[in-house]
Amino acid sequence: MAEMWISMGPQHPMTHGLWTLKIKVDGETVVDTEPDLGYIHRGVEKICEARDFTQITTYCDRLCYASANTWSHSYIYAAEDLLGVEVPERAEYIRLIAVEIQRIASHLMWLGAYGPDIGNLSIMVWCLREREMMMDLLQELGGSRMHYNFPRVGGVKRDLPHGFAQRARAKLKLFLNRIQEYESLFDESTVFLVRSQGVGYAKPEEMINHGVSGPNIRAAGVDYDVRWAHPYSVYSELDWQPSVERSSIKGADCYDRYRIRVEEMRMSASMVLQAIDKIPGGAETYHEPGDPKILAKAPSRAPEGATGSHHFEDSRGESMFYLAGGGEGRGKMPYRVSIRSPMFITIPYAAKCMIGYKVADIPAIMGSFDPCIGETDR
Amino acid sequence: MGKKVTAAAQQKAATALAEAMSSIDGVNAAVDTRTSGTQDRHTVSATSTPESWRALAEALAAEQGVDYCSMITGIHWPDAADKTWEVVYHLMRTCVRDPASIQGVIQPNITDANNVEGADVPLEIQISIALPDTREPAVASVQDIWVGADWNEKETWDLVGIDFNGHEGMRRVLNPHETPVGYHPLQKQHKLRYHGFEEMYDDVQGYLRKPADAGKLK
Repeated sequence: MAEMWISMGPQHPMTHGLWTLKIKVDGETVVDTEPDLGYIHRGVEKICEARDFTQITTYCDRLCYASANTWSHSYIYAAEDLLGVEVPERAEYIRLIAVEIQRIASHLMWLGAYGPDIGNLSIMVWCLREREMMMDLLQELGGSRMHYNFPRVGGVKRDLPHGFAQRARAKLKLFLNRIQEYESLFDESTVFLVRSQGVGYAKPEEMINHGVSGPNIRAAGVDYDVRWAHPYSVYSELDWQPSVERSSIKGADCYDRYRIRVEEMRMSASMVLQAIDKIPGGAETYHEPGDPKILAKAPSRAPEGATGSHHFEDSRGESMFYLAGGGEGRGKMPYRVSIRSPMFITIPYAAKCMIGYKVADIPAIMGSFDPCIGETDR
Repeated sequence: MGKKVTAAAQQKAATALAEAMSSIDGVNAAVDTRTSGTQDRHTVSATSTPESWRALAEALAAEQGVDYCSMITGIHWPDAADKTWEVVYHLMRTCVRDPASIQGVIQPNITDANNVEGADVPLEIQISIALPDTREPAVASVQDIWVGADWNEKETWDLVGIDFNGHEGMRRVLNPHETPVGYHPLQKQHKLRYHGFEEMYDDVQGYLRKPADAGKLK
């Protein structure tokens, strides 16, 4: 049978956003793929060149609606490097709590979207229910449901509110119990296992060469994680190990990538519980916004020639910001903002992963890499 | 104490790598200390001439175990004295290996992060290449060394207009495919105006615009 090109997207249940995957098929088998991105390119990097350092945080929140906090924190660390700000330790703990709760919410969003991809609709409803608990916690911190605008250059917007620790403990413990229910819902579903096991193999060295990182690489039996390899924040004060999945010798398949995210949610929940116990000054103490315990003074202008960069463990892999100072308004705005989106690099790799599998495997493989088009197109 | 690469090991490894990089002609590398939040990180920061870049990249991948291309940034400096274009590479040494298997069962690689040494220490490397004033800025492509550089190079050409010699399949990735030839939005002749926050909320339609702003895009 003759080979032909099929265009999946920009509107397609597989895409998890707005993009096109062109596939070349020989009968039912995929023989070549080509991703086509850029449908929702907003020019965030250019817009940031005309915004001051505080205003940029809101744009970074909007890079990914499912994982807003990790993106704004990723930017803030680079901005602090550029402006030379030392952050109070209490603020670092609060940031860690916010980021790890966000990681759980993001993975739940992924799990909720992945279920319907491969024929299990009830998991979506369950995951969104749990995600609501996480969003409530983040709303207490940031004040809004999705785009929190929570970190500030030099600290955080607000301290932990009264009673937050108690509510967070209760919700995370409930979550840790319920996560077992999801596992049984997935792991005992024959449909899920048949569709996710044995498809989309990916090996660690190949993935690293292709620029893939984060949960996708830890699914393949290596423990590389920016949080310990290029240490930032106060992760080293907590007792934790990156979750690693024991994959098959062919590499990680879609099932391994599902397992790793479930394990990561457990690990993040444990980190938040530890951080609440260990936070300097105690979780029940409240400081007014702007208190030096949670927000250090920061200059508003960056000198010419200064640069700031930071690698960050985002929910989907290694994200990064590179800032060059000395822009308009005598350095009030950055001269250049460059954003590394893990998914921008991973989507071409995921598309390569599909070659050799059937057309019906495409949603399973693509979904398992957790694509997010907001951050991809920027 | 939790898992963490110690600052001492990081600094030692960064010093060794910076020395090895500096031995290549046209490359000048040093250890850089960056502070984010409460932690200091020791990274390698280098400058390279465009001619030595390809040799440097090959040496890093083959001899120094640099296995990961994180990001490529192109910057347009129309007003700078020493350069008009700059390409900044952020590479990483991740030390990721395929895990071994015993009787067909994978043994996950667990790094003892607190005790890693020498070439096993994960490192960040920043390499900056300044290009002179030219209408067709270009550097050598490293797409074949790190596949992760492939889409980074496409993006840098698409947005900034810096080309990569030897790159296969260059095309628009974020801008529409029918974008006019020569239009690269992150070049500095395309200007955006600063909006104060009062203006953004109180004057969305731009009725109170100053005469000086006439003709500028809102």
